[in-house]
Amino acid sequence: MCKDYVYDKDIEQIAKEEQGEALKLQASTSTEVSHQQYSMPGLGEKYPTWETTKPELELLGHNPRRRRIASSFTIGLRGLINLGNTCFMNCIVQALTHTPILRDFFLSDRHRCEMPSPELCLVCEMSSLFRELYSGNPSPHVPYKLLHLVWIHARHLAGYRQQDAHEFLIAALDVLHRHCKGDDAGKAASNPNHCNCIIDQIFTGGLQSDVTCQACHGVSTTIDPCWDISLDLPGSCTSFWPMSPGRESSVNGESHIPGITTLTDCLRRFTRPEHLGSSAKIKCGSCQSYQESTKQLTMNKLPVVACFHFKRFEHSAKQRRKITTYISFPLELDMTPFMASSKESRMNGQLQLPTNSGNDENKYSLFAVVNHQGTLESGHYTSFIRHHKDQWFKCDDAVITKASIKDVLDSEGYLLFYHKQVLEHESEKVKEVSTQAY
Amino acid sequence: MKMEEMSLSGLDNSKLEAIAQEIYADLVEDSCLGFCFEVHRAVKCGYFFLDDTDPESMKDFEIVDQPGLDIFGQVFNQWKSKECVCPNCSRSIAASRFAPHLEKCLGMGRNSSRIANRRIANSNNMNKSESDQEDNDDINDNDWSYGSEKKAKKRKSDKLWYLPFQNPNSPRRSKSLKHKNGELSNSDPFKYNNSAGISYETLGPEELRSLLTTLIFLFQQCGVISEHTKKMCTRSLRCPQHTDEQRRAVRIYFLGPSAVLPEVESSLDNDSFDMTDSQALISRLQWDGSSDLSPSDSGSSKTSENQGWGLGTNSSESRKTKKKKSHLSLVGTASSLGSNKKKKPKPPAPPTPSIYDDIN
Repeated sequence: MCKDYVYDKDIEQIAKEEQGEALKLQASTSTEVSHQQYSMPGLGEKYPTWETTKPELELLGHNPRRRRIASSFTIGLRGLINLGNTCFMNCIVQALTHTPILRDFFLSDRHRCEMPSPELCLVCEMSSLFRELYSGNPSPHVPYKLLHLVWIHARHLAGYRQQDAHEFLIAALDVLHRHCKGDDAGKAASNPNHCNCIIDQIFTGGLQSDVTCQACHGVSTTIDPCWDISLDLPGSCTSFWPMSPGRESSVNGESHIPGITTLTDCLRRFTRPEHLGSSAKIKCGSCQSYQESTKQLTMNKLPVVACFHFKRFEHSAKQRRKITTYISFPLELDMTPFMASSKESRMNGQLQLPTNSGNDENKYSLFAVVNHQGTLESGHYTSFIRHHKDQWFKCDDAVITKASIKDVLDSEGYLLFYHKQVLEHESEKVKEVSTQAY
Repeated sequence: MKMEEMSLSGLDNSKLEAIAQEIYADLVEDSCLGFCFEVHRAVKCGYFFLDDTDPESMKDFEIVDQPGLDIFGQVFNQWKSKECVCPNCSRSIAASRFAPHLEKCLGMGRNSSRIANRRIANSNNMNKSESDQEDNDDINDNDWSYGSEKKAKKRKSDKLWYLPFQNPNSPRRSKSLKHKNGELSNSDPFKYNNSAGISYETLGPEELRSLLTTLIFLFQQCGVISEHTKKMCTRSLRCPQHTDEQRRAVRIYFLGPSAVLPEVESSLDNDSFDMTDSQALISRLQWDGSSDLSPSDSGSSKTSENQGWGLGTNSSESRKTKKKKSHLSLVGTASSLGSNKKKKPKPPAPPTPSIYDDIN
């Protein structure tokens, strides 16, 4: 009798199981549980801390040079060599590899290749990229394989020339999405509504378009999948800005300086009801005639990662130029006012943002910014990425340097990447379906 | 403490104080105990040591935040020497030049289709066959699927050679073309320069057009066939290893007795030659790998039709043909050259993809 506390494995195992059962019973009453960022426990599941097995203990004992990843560590950061005007690709790669949920997916080796030939699979290459970028290797990585694969699978992008980062992003997401399903040549009509690949789970949002007939006030609604939101900027000849920027109360904590347009302003403009004019009459289903109408865009379903694209490159008949107007964007963004469900209050002309919304579902945090310096014809892309929650780094091809939040928020902004703060997970049934898909 | 039905409002301050203290003490005790148990468990189960880390090696990963250095403490702009291997042609390419290389390698460059079309035009002239209308872009497209690439790779392993002065890495071909003096091979960073030279097997019918261009280079390079390796020397016209005599002999062998060793200084390049006589020329090259060709065989020209080579003339065509240089691949197939002469209607087999790609 040593009179000490003892720990018996078998009993602990039994206790764990019972505990799990108990939690399940507790949680079965609610269908949705919201949890903190980066942790997605299943309903009623308690994730225990990792405990080593005997062989692991032995192994670890033999290797005393253990390091614990601290937030001051470089692990997770790595430069990318410019292969010849490929800075646009490097920035997107940095943004994608620092997307928390995507990082978790790839680093936990969740990709199962469906492609007929794995060496052509872009998702496998992404997986390999994650491994490279998180290896802790200080020497920059050469993403030549990625370039090759992208050129093979997205022919319109192939060629040695400067390209648009946004275009690359969309093409890359498209190829990744196809390859997740093993669709090599894009033959199958990809129906995003029924796809459960990781790309769709993360990036696909639903853009709702409501067309209201002015005569009978009947509304026709369509919802389209979207991977990003492209926003017109003030000063472009195709846009028109009815509201003076910055007038409304500082909705998202953006720096409220009169005269400076904010991301929220752009979003408001994007989701405003637009009168379509007499030259664009729509055939109304109920009136059975052509009537004038108003159209409004709102978000029906918010993606986990929202990408905002400022339309800085103007290719109109009149001119081709880059709009360099500074747009202020916030570190945290609440998308509630731009949802379809908030339309009522919008119709009344107010931009309602309950200060104490209690509903954190629509809150986003900025984690990557892609910037462009230069002119329409020739320029250079750099990116800021967020690492370890509060540290920001500037990625300029092969050179990574520390940056301040101020640097990030003061930058011009071309592509903004926001990540949902709270990941809601779906009910048990749907979850099962999604895990089976891959 | 017993659970008593007490109304808190009925208590005075000191009692409330006491209750608050007790609750506080309970909480602190619980958390301390919890922590102690965790540590106890860790020690008992043998994984307590895991918390120990090695501060020395941890320093390696600390983020550096100094001007002029990146987060790893490295100086900027030192990555010029990074290299990678092209997945298409398996060559080692400087990383910063990979994109332009890949573009040419895959046949997507602006000039690629122009060059390819010219090549087709040449071969059309040569073969006088209309079935040779293959769209070179399609050929290039074959490169994109790895299936055909595998085949290509296989054949590539057979004696491939490139005209060394057509450095695919050079962003502007005109650069290399400006070189005249046979200094090409020296200035060329291509590693082929260091190899013994070129060897080639029996020519297939589709190699005709490539052969023509092959012969062009004889005006630029030594070309002497080494007895040991049966390969043509790719060094400059002033190659020290071989004499002018030898060079002349090689040319006579290939081009007929009237062949002239080009003057090193002259701007004599692949001058115009008469395509119609190429067949005759090529027929003389009944060449298969085992045959023993030595410069001393030069005397035996098999046909008398060798006036095709307008040596020494600087026609305007020379400029065009200059640009036409593309690298060649001579793949070992045992087709007899004689068939070319008869102009069989059979169209030439599609040339090996990817190696034919313009490296313009």
